[in-house]
Amino acid sequence: MSIVTVQLGQCGNQIGFEVFDTLFSDSHSSQGLCSKRENEAYRASCKERFFNEEENGVPIARAVLVDMEPKVINQTLSKAAQSGRWKYGQHAYFCQKQGSGNNWAYGYSVHGPRHEESIMNLIQKEVEKCDSLSGFFIIMSMAGGTGSGIGAFVTQNLQDQYAHSLKMNQIIWPYGTGEVIVQNYNSILTLSHLYRSSDALLVHENDAVHKICAKLMNIKQISFSDINQVLAHQLGSVFQPVYCAEGSFHYRRNPLGDLMENLVPHPEFKMLGVRNIPQMSENSLAYSTFTWAGLLKHLRQMLISHAKMEEGIDWQVRPPLSGLPPLGKMPLNKELHFNTSIANLVILRGKDVQSADLGKKLRAYLHQYTKFGIEEEDFLDSFTLLEQVVASYYNL
Amino acid sequence: MGRRRRLVDPAAEAGAGALPKVIAALSRSLPAGPSPEIFRRAKFDRPEAAPALWQLLFRLLSPRSADGASASLALEAQVCLVKSALRSQGYPRLVLAQLPEDGSRGSRELLLALSWLLARGPLPEQLLAQAHVQLGDEIPVCECEALASPGPRVPHVEAEGPVDIRCVQWLMGRLRFRWRCLIASQQEQCTLLSKLLRRLERENTGLEAALEWRRGELVFWRWMDTVLGACPPEAPAAATQPTFLPRIAERGLGRLELAARELRALQEELCEATGRRRAAWEARVGGQGRGPQWSSARQALQKAVEQELAALRWAWEQDRGPARPHGPHRLVRCEDEAPGGQHLRAAEVIQALRSQEACLEAALRRLQGQCRQELARLAGALPGLIWILPPRC
Repeated sequence: MSIVTVQLGQCGNQIGFEVFDTLFSDSHSSQGLCSKRENEAYRASCKERFFNEEENGVPIARAVLVDMEPKVINQTLSKAAQSGRWKYGQHAYFCQKQGSGNNWAYGYSVHGPRHEESIMNLIQKEVEKCDSLSGFFIIMSMAGGTGSGIGAFVTQNLQDQYAHSLKMNQIIWPYGTGEVIVQNYNSILTLSHLYRSSDALLVHENDAVHKICAKLMNIKQISFSDINQVLAHQLGSVFQPVYCAEGSFHYRRNPLGDLMENLVPHPEFKMLGVRNIPQMSENSLAYSTFTWAGLLKHLRQMLISHAKMEEGIDWQVRPPLSGLPPLGKMPLNKELHFNTSIANLVILRGKDVQSADLGKKLRAYLHQYTKFGIEEEDFLDSFTLLEQVVASYYNL
Repeated sequence: MGRRRRLVDPAAEAGAGALPKVIAALSRSLPAGPSPEIFRRAKFDRPEAAPALWQLLFRLLSPRSADGASASLALEAQVCLVKSALRSQGYPRLVLAQLPEDGSRGSRELLLALSWLLARGPLPEQLLAQAHVQLGDEIPVCECEALASPGPRVPHVEAEGPVDIRCVQWLMGRLRFRWRCLIASQQEQCTLLSKLLRRLERENTGLEAALEWRRGELVFWRWMDTVLGACPPEAPAAATQPTFLPRIAERGLGRLELAARELRALQEELCEATGRRRAAWEARVGGQGRGPQWSSARQALQKAVEQELAALRWAWEQDRGPARPHGPHRLVRCEDEAPGGQHLRAAEVIQALRSQEACLEAALRRLQGQCRQELARLAGALPGLIWILPPRC
């Protein structure tokens, strides 16, 4: 079954390219690690998932690229085409001539509705090319401006138009050091809107991935491309075919269906995180040996100590937090250790302020949003929803 | 040209429109068949008809698997391939080999080559059989490859104590997701069914065209006579040229001899080695095989062998006359009770499979027993070590 990917904004498009590249290399690699029969079975089950494979042509990624400025999209398209191994569809992208200033509300209320028809048409065309649709995979950043706003709008539209299809949103948590308050507002709005219209939210933190690159992969100058490659590797591990329980040479067909059914059936718990090991560069892999039991034990340790990296696990004794859900090898991401309301943390950043100041601070940046139709009530709604989510997780 | 002359039936239709109809049927039953107008022009050796006929011959002569990729080959490459393929099949007329490579001339020659191919064998039927749509309703008989697969696991539910409402919500969510996956797979089924129907339709058209062609092909052969008559006579010296056959190089022959000798030596070695091994095994076994602990094993073996013999005997009795069918069979629903021939009834197949299953299960149990005994022996040999054998299942 096939997955249609929607790449939104600069972040989404760059990551999307790395994801497709990784998936393609994995499906078509000729490493002699398994028997020929296993390789063929694997390759056969990878077919049609992420690429539209014609008989004598270059495989075409099942993706729609959306951005408000043409620069990143053009880069992505040309990088793919230059590789010669796979490419994006010739008309599978949508962009405008000029950017539109990092503004979530603008993206959500203006760009979205204005270009709704074109974008949904593109997605419809991709869907029609699939023999069977497993679902949608939407890549976007959380705190960006237009990318996140449009992303929230598009996801909502997908919910309306393809109510029965599964949707997973991949969202990038911004660097902690970028303390622009607008980022926080954007994140709140994105999260709350996505929580309503998507089935699962897979969160990746730039900080964590950066640390993995620095400490474990020994990359000196970490570029966005390195970070995205690590991210893509994690995603690829999640989406590539897995064996059926019954026997070998039988792969499961519905990747999103399996993931969703086992991880996010409960409507209140939609947040997901990924842990993967081993976290090392391809070159070092050849010099290490692993056992399945050892890897699992390590993973469990990471899970218990909420670590995202293989090393430096902090074994402090803490009062028991939440228990683990009954199923699932991948942990739910307890992303926030809030002990105060979200509103407090987001706006006041934890400082203790008088209530009058609170009002002033709140309205400080609000005009950017109200200018395009996002009112104070929307913010309050978003706060409430997220508070509820946090409370549910807290009570697990 | 040694063309087979078919018996002309004077009572066969000779209507004015019969020839174009027959040629149209022919081109429908061939892949990439050109229009009847091309055929007519080819009789008069018109150059514009040549490329279409080159391409048709290319499709007929190129290997089956290169269907999609080779369609994009340039005309020159196709021309070369057609020429060499016809030569290796023994096509006698030299004029074809001398036609220009750019495929711009020679439509009459190509028409003669096409009819030569048609006369040699049932070409449209062969092509249609190759392109037959696989419907998944074929079942192989007597090919023992079935693996026992366990059924789907039944989820086991515990009901102890008060149930958390979140658990119920969780289960409801799973149900909803499964339902959505079901919808997706039903949509997939619909798409695939429609694809299948379209391919079947295409196959049906081809089959109908082949039938129509067979009914009217006399008209075509009579017309081909006139085409041959329109050709200039061939130079007599050319007729003595032997058919071109691929030659094995001298060096290759020597190597072949060497390989054959080596194989024969290997075979003798293997015979010797098996003979030695058999003798050694018999010597070992001759000493054993007596005693109480072996009698049960022997009984089990005997029972298994008897079962297999019974199955074989039953199989023989079922089917004295023609050879027992072996190979893939198609599932077809049949109202009438048409007996024997090449048909097998489903009940017979099921019985055959069941007896095979029984034999295999007996063999499995026997092998498991042997393994257990071996493990017990090993356990006895290492005192102080506790071995926990797997449970009998």
